[in-house]
Amino acid sequence: MTQLYTALFTILIGIGAAVVYFGGSNWLLDRAFPVRGPGGRVAGDRVAGDRVARNIRLAGLIRPWLFLGPAILALGIYLVWPVAASVWLGFRSRDGSAFVGLENYRWLVTDPVFRESMLNNFLWLLVVPAAATFLGLVAAALTDRISWGNLAKSLIFMPMAISFVGAAVIWKFVYDYRGEGEQIGLLNAIVVALGGSPQAWIALPFWNNFFLMAILVWIQTGFAMVILSAALRGIPEETVEAAVIDGANPLQIFFRIMVPQIWGTIAVVWTTITITVLKVFDIVLAMTNGQWQSQVLANLMFDWMFRGGGDQGRGAVIAIVIMVLVIPIMVWNIRGARAEGGGP
Amino acid sequence: MKTLDGTVGRTLRAMPLLVLAAAGLAPQGAGARDLVFAPGADARIDWAGYDAYAAAHDLSGQTLSIFGPWRGEDQVLIENVLAYFEAATGATVTYASSENYEQQIVIDTQAGSPPDIAILPQPGLIADLAAKGLLAPLGDATRDWLAGHYAAGESWVGLGSYPGPDGATALYAFPYKADVKSLVWYVPENFEDAGYAVPETLEDLRALTETIAAEGETPWCIGLGSGGATGWPATDWVEDLLLRNEPPEVYDGWVTGGVPFDDPRIIATIEDFGWFARNDGFVDGGAAAVATTDFRDSPAGLFAAPPRCYLHHQASFIPSFFPEGTEIGRDVDFFYMPAHGGKDLGKPVLGAGTLAMITRDGPAARAFIAFLMTPVAHEVWMAQSGFLTPYRDANPEAYANEALRKQGAILRDATTFRFDGSDLMPGKIGAGAFWTGMVDYVGGAPAADVAARIRAEWDAVR
Amino acid sequence: MSGGMAGRAEGRVGRRAGLTWAVHLSVLLLVVLWTLPTAGLFVTSLRDRDQIAVSGWWTALATSTQSLVFRAPAGEGEVEEAGRFVLRGTVLDGGAGRVTAFGTSSRAPAAFGPGETADLGDGVRLTVAADGGYELSGPQSFKAGRGQRIFHTAEVPPRFTLANYAGVLGAAGLGRSFLNSMTVAVPATVIPILVAAFAAYALAWMRFAGRGLLIAAVVGLLVVPLQMALIPLLSLYNGLGQAFGFDPKTYIGIWLAHTGFGLPLAIYLLRNYMAGLPREIIESARVDGANDFEIFTRIVLPLSFPALASFAIFQFLWTWNDLLVALVFLGAGDDRLVLTGRLVNLLGSRGGDWEILAASAFVSIAVPILVFFALQKYLVRGLLAGSVK
Repeated sequence: MTQLYTALFTILIGIGAAVVYFGGSNWLLDRAFPVRGPGGRVAGDRVAGDRVARNIRLAGLIRPWLFLGPAILALGIYLVWPVAASVWLGFRSRDGSAFVGLENYRWLVTDPVFRESMLNNFLWLLVVPAAATFLGLVAAALTDRISWGNLAKSLIFMPMAISFVGAAVIWKFVYDYRGEGEQIGLLNAIVVALGGSPQAWIALPFWNNFFLMAILVWIQTGFAMVILSAALRGIPEETVEAAVIDGANPLQIFFRIMVPQIWGTIAVVWTTITITVLKVFDIVLAMTNGQWQSQVLANLMFDWMFRGGGDQGRGAVIAIVIMVLVIPIMVWNIRGARAEGGGP
Repeated sequence: MKTLDGTVGRTLRAMPLLVLAAAGLAPQGAGARDLVFAPGADARIDWAGYDAYAAAHDLSGQTLSIFGPWRGEDQVLIENVLAYFEAATGATVTYASSENYEQQIVIDTQAGSPPDIAILPQPGLIADLAAKGLLAPLGDATRDWLAGHYAAGESWVGLGSYPGPDGATALYAFPYKADVKSLVWYVPENFEDAGYAVPETLEDLRALTETIAAEGETPWCIGLGSGGATGWPATDWVEDLLLRNEPPEVYDGWVTGGVPFDDPRIIATIEDFGWFARNDGFVDGGAAAVATTDFRDSPAGLFAAPPRCYLHHQASFIPSFFPEGTEIGRDVDFFYMPAHGGKDLGKPVLGAGTLAMITRDGPAARAFIAFLMTPVAHEVWMAQSGFLTPYRDANPEAYANEALRKQGAILRDATTFRFDGSDLMPGKIGAGAFWTGMVDYVGGAPAADVAARIRAEWDAVR
Repeated sequence: MSGGMAGRAEGRVGRRAGLTWAVHLSVLLLVVLWTLPTAGLFVTSLRDRDQIAVSGWWTALATSTQSLVFRAPAGEGEVEEAGRFVLRGTVLDGGAGRVTAFGTSSRAPAAFGPGETADLGDGVRLTVAADGGYELSGPQSFKAGRGQRIFHTAEVPPRFTLANYAGVLGAAGLGRSFLNSMTVAVPATVIPILVAAFAAYALAWMRFAGRGLLIAAVVGLLVVPLQMALIPLLSLYNGLGQAFGFDPKTYIGIWLAHTGFGLPLAIYLLRNYMAGLPREIIESARVDGANDFEIFTRIVLPLSFPALASFAIFQFLWTWNDLLVALVFLGAGDDRLVLTGRLVNLLGSRGGDWEILAASAFVSIAVPILVFFALQKYLVRGLLAGSVK
């Protein structure tokens, strides 16, 4: 049992420290720049009033950074610094010991596998975010209308909860190929039952990309559904009721009234899945490892970083390409944030 | 919905508590491990040498961390061996493994927190670690010991020697545990039913393949699938055939880059493999099934009724993927992948194995390498099964069964022993381009194109 | 919880019954499509290894015709009757099923019908009945041989086993690993939520210089591949550990790592949600003299429960199923191995034990599904969200 207590204790320490920081730092700020007199009364006289105004301003300057402090620190150490290290490594040799200038970039643009990966990634970006977001939206909208919707949601969500090792086996039993005789792959069994001939799905160049994408769509639809469902339920009922009274049919209500109201959330889901696609490598690693022309950038990077002792320089430049690809999405999101103008 | 949710919710909420309670009560890892063979009891094991080792080494209170490739059942076996090291020296050993050991060791060594001892099956990766100065040389005494005590000792020394950060070649890795790859598995009773004989030469093997196919049956089961490592079984085929087609010097030149990958002799050997694997009539499921069938599933055809194939080329580890209860010697057997009758190249053997190296130097790590030189370290695992060794002083009687003894004999009798070439090549080739190339080749690409592409990638590796 | 909007719509317009059916059917189709692969894994986890490799999982659900091999014992249990040695038994494992054909040669495994007698030469005779019972007799003892192979075609009823689960659940150290995973996952979920919620509020509702830049940075950092960060971070940990003399592989280290890796998504999702909250309530609270800390803790945080719960689910899933970060920052030592690591190690050095993989996938999915059920009720409309607008 001691282990259990140690675990609980450790958990409490970790969470407690975070709570203490936020509560404590704000308490300190309020003490340092009091805006209220004892007992909560707002001070009445003019001098005190000036001090209060100054304190409100100072507290207002400092407080955002108290709120943001831990996040900026964590992001700085865990993400910004490794990015900087990668940029540096991108100019270095295999083990980072010598400066090689743009050599790694020159290698990159001439590498045929890199070109293949870019093309495949482009396909992935085109298909997966759109498919997963759309299916997630449909699932969220439909399951909200039926009595067993929560059960349906849980089942659609389940792929997200399955560990990657599990997912790889699941899809092995879908795509498995046997030349003749009894198929143990579901897809080929269906094809054979319908009178077709079995195919080695994941070994069909070009088309295999789509079979791999199906796995990610299968996983990510649950994500899209959960987020979009929360957004759909946040839609004010009056807007829908007004449309019902006007005699709009359910499809019109959905596409003309509801979808526009959650447009922001749809954009968030689409962005998140797009970024997941850029980072996807475990599906490709486990199913094909980029063979049969199914390589993608993140797996190519993984390959160069770790296989056979790794080539830090080349791995780093591929990582940089992945990060550069996200810039358009960044710009688009900042525009969105400006337009929506949240906050004062 | 509400009521259903409520009940399910309550039951589910109660469950973690139950699970936690059960977890708390479950017995935890036993502190001191029991020794599987009581010292002094089993006459097959060299207890005198063990006692001498124990007397010479005292590491009480010290710890030794080992990172190795063995997991699951193999992990139990190695931990049983390590228990003897603990008992002899008083040190505490922590053994760890990981599915992605390659990635793990790269991260751990480069970040500066390596284990004391790493045991790896990939000479290419070891060469990289040695060149980066992340390994401690084992010394000339160890090198001489290996040369003198391992069968074909010089080739094992060569396997463990790599250029260090200063460019000088030294022994960095100690070979421990070997696999024989030049094996063909078959079901003796199916051979009897059909009237086939075990081939003595490569020519016979080809003739047998043609006979089986002519009788309307399928001779071979070949599966290259292995998730991210798909393609590697084909590299074993090519290497095994190259050792039979050409003198070992060609093989050595090939794995080190001296003989280019698109040399006509290499291309001819790839085509030799294609003679078996790219012929729809010769392989179960046809040539298209070769690349996608998982290597772990591929031997199943031998045991089907009626058999889907008669022959399967694979290393000595494959019985762990045979159907449950399969007994080697009765239900299945193996023969040495025969050499050309017409060529005077002796009996070459292709193998693989794991090598131990010091990633953090210290008395405990040195003592562990010394432990691997005692027969006990080999015999305990031999007696537990699943272990082959070229160590001459290890008692062959200790092998757990006849099949292992036979494989051990193949290893000892080899006129030429060569390590799996794909493991010796640079990682990006041997564990990358070569695999991919073989997948492309069985998919129909011409051998010359595939070889040229691998060569180009090799040239691009730094 | 029942869908309010659907109810209202139905109440008003009766002709929508057909549409309701269409909704039910479409959801059913979606659910079947999404569940079928997993159902296959579940069935697989209840089968034994030899079956998994030779037949599809759906065949396990009904009686199937299989070609099998049985090896009679090499003489054990033979009796001498009228000068002949006789062996009796059943070829069917478990006794259930029906034999439709048998044979003794791999070349003709279905040469004889049930009840027929096969002559094996040298006076040896074999007969196999439809119920699987066989009788092998010959003039000499069978002890010299290796046991006669009996090929048979049989209709076998579904057969399931819990052995795979027993194997996984009985693994040494599983309980310990379960606790380790909990110790990693719970704080690694709660800490980033706290940190991100404050940051998201600041980015959504506070005015300060550089806000747009920070939002852009968060989106940009979403894409940083984890693998890239591992080596620099571990060397940082090792450096700190050496300088201050502590073990670099600690729980605090892995919590902070998960926090760092999870933060961009958390901040991004929460900020977008919070920015969508009605401006009026926040403005009116400001007018009432509440400072940002109070507005955040008393108004925004409760209103953000759906978003917090969604992110909590995702972050928990990710940390629970993670292996890579745990191995790097916590190590693979026996006392610190997380559940995913323990289960992967069960697979053996060469992997591919599909039955163990399948069973362990369902063992490890249990906790995330519980978390999903527990948090699902928070995913519905937040406490006030509907009424304030």
